[in-house]
Amino acid sequence: MKRNSLVLLAFFGCMSLAHARLQVVATLPDFAALTTEIGGEWVDVKSIAKGTQDPHFIEAKPSFMRVVHDADLVIANGLELEVGWLPSILRGARNPKVMEGNPGFLDLGASIQALDIPRGSVSRADGDVHASGNPHYNLDPIRMGDCAQRIADRLGQLDASHSQFYLDKAVAFRKRMIEKTKAWTARIKASGVHQVVTYHKSFTYFFNRFGITSPAMLEPKPGIPPTSTHILEVIRILRDQKVPLILVENYFDPTVTERIRQDLPSVRSKTVAIQVGGDPEIKTYDDLIEKLVQAVESASGRGRS
Amino acid sequence: MYLRLLRTSVFCVSLVGGVFSFGLAHAEVSIKGKSMNPDISANFLGLWQQGTGISNTRTTTSHNGFSLQEAELQLTSDVDPYFRASVLFAISQTAGSTEFGIEPEEVFVETLSLPSFTVRAGKFKMALGKHNMLHTHAFPFIDAPLIHERLLGGEGLNEVGVSAAALVPTPWYSEFTAQVFNPSNETFYGSSSSSSLGTVFHWKNLWDLSDALTLEVGLSGSHGKTAADQSAHLWGSDITLKWRPSEGGKYHALIWTTEYLDGTHAELATTTSGDAQNRLNGIATWIQWQFAERWWLQGRYEHLGLSENFAIPSENRESLLLGYFPSEFSGLRLQYDLLSTQNKLKDDHRIALQAVFSIGAHPAHAY
Ligand SMILES: [Zn+2]
Repeated sequence: MKRNSLVLLAFFGCMSLAHARLQVVATLPDFAALTTEIGGEWVDVKSIAKGTQDPHFIEAKPSFMRVVHDADLVIANGLELEVGWLPSILRGARNPKVMEGNPGFLDLGASIQALDIPRGSVSRADGDVHASGNPHYNLDPIRMGDCAQRIADRLGQLDASHSQFYLDKAVAFRKRMIEKTKAWTARIKASGVHQVVTYHKSFTYFFNRFGITSPAMLEPKPGIPPTSTHILEVIRILRDQKVPLILVENYFDPTVTERIRQDLPSVRSKTVAIQVGGDPEIKTYDDLIEKLVQAVESASGRGRS
Repeated sequence: MYLRLLRTSVFCVSLVGGVFSFGLAHAEVSIKGKSMNPDISANFLGLWQQGTGISNTRTTTSHNGFSLQEAELQLTSDVDPYFRASVLFAISQTAGSTEFGIEPEEVFVETLSLPSFTVRAGKFKMALGKHNMLHTHAFPFIDAPLIHERLLGGEGLNEVGVSAAALVPTPWYSEFTAQVFNPSNETFYGSSSSSSLGTVFHWKNLWDLSDALTLEVGLSGSHGKTAADQSAHLWGSDITLKWRPSEGGKYHALIWTTEYLDGTHAELATTTSGDAQNRLNGIATWIQWQFAERWWLQGRYEHLGLSENFAIPSENRESLLLGYFPSEFSGLRLQYDLLSTQNKLKDDHRIALQAVFSIGAHPAHAY
């Protein structure tokens, strides 16, 4: 019954869109890049967040409501990442097509295998924890391959005339990511870097994929800015465990690492983009992961080998 | 049917739990948003103030010393695929007593699936300008602008009625809102007749001047009847410039808001003064500057009595605020005000410290 009505909806959706390009709004630039690759000339893609912005805190600007009002499909990261802003944008957009539960709304987080799912009850005393698990899966090329598949399925559902086109593009992206991940894994292994400290838990999936562990964060708790006592504790961990590298996501203030660099000149500290467009040179998803792998390689030969 | 009953009972239980034990409500309500329970959140505003123009009597609602300025308990949930409901109770001191009363500040349902329109029914803050729609915990300063307090009273224009807001098909964001209500405002529209209808309209426009800068311009008006069934009307305009860079946006922002409100209230007209109507208007302009991740510095200037109506002396107020926000859910604000009234020898000074806390469901921030 439900499936039938979905099919029907999709059918009428296609009738009205037969000659127009699908209007897609992605919440984050990485999903916009993916959709652009999959949809090619048949879709128009816009991203709400910019690569330089913290995706936890995007402002629900009315201009985004205007854009979502005209959208056929909204693609969200999910896992509560957009909880502070996407509901307001969706409500303000007044576009029933893209409301949750309709074919025009795709929550990619709902179908990924999440990491860091908190056990038991969650409390804000632990900072701004994500109760459904870590939402930053965009840095795992394999999971993004799965996302490509889901995006292609949904585009095909909304625009059946090009479904094969979308599917082929998604399969190609996925294959390329599997191949490249093999090469990236080999390079990271060769770099001898096993431990990296970051500002926020944005790298959980990236590290999990490439065999890196993270013994500390610069923020004492998710969403809580670093304190000097916590930085001293991080310095102790960096020294004791001979961690060679600190990566600071580019929307955070990098000056917090100054004290660490003073105390431990051998530790390399780098500010990195973690989304497409976070740096003008990062135009595609491949560029993004390539840059991060290079950042890890830059600490090769430092610390414990 | 059974499910609906169950949901209602869960709703009531969590409500009671919420009033008597905020801690419990937090543990009970998943912030996952995956449960059928409504999203529950509570805000409280603790206040200490000392002012030369403020009463020392504890039974006066705004008095010197410590007070619980307000506690708000909010429940929101989608009713079904078509409607969303929101209930907000405000707990605050009852005038003339040291006791606290609980009042439904907002109780409404609104549509979720109408294309281009949002229709809302219930009791809600009317779309008169920008500040009138804010809840106390979201006020840019500890108190509302003078002109809002004088014209609309402590609770603002918050009435029972119906609202329709349409997205206008323009290249920029443009929204037109029309509302009808039964007037019950304590200071402005007090008509006791249920056949007397008040109206509000609001036209909101917003442009992205760049990725970092937005300009909002709004125009609003309202008409209704006073307690003596005399015609009264209000109109207002607002303009806001908001800057938050897309690089380093976590650490810096600047907001400049100006709001003008003008009320004409025929009931107060006196034959001796020769004034056909009694009119009060005023302007408030304020700048909010975020200079570090957790810090805001704000200034406000207000002028009351622009219309040269000599029956009411003009007033000026200058305010300065320093805000410190350890997280999205807590804040401390220190505010100083200087109020000077024309033809009055002594100025009033006030210093106030406010603590703001929110618990429960993650708030969806309005822009
Ligand atoms: Zn996060």
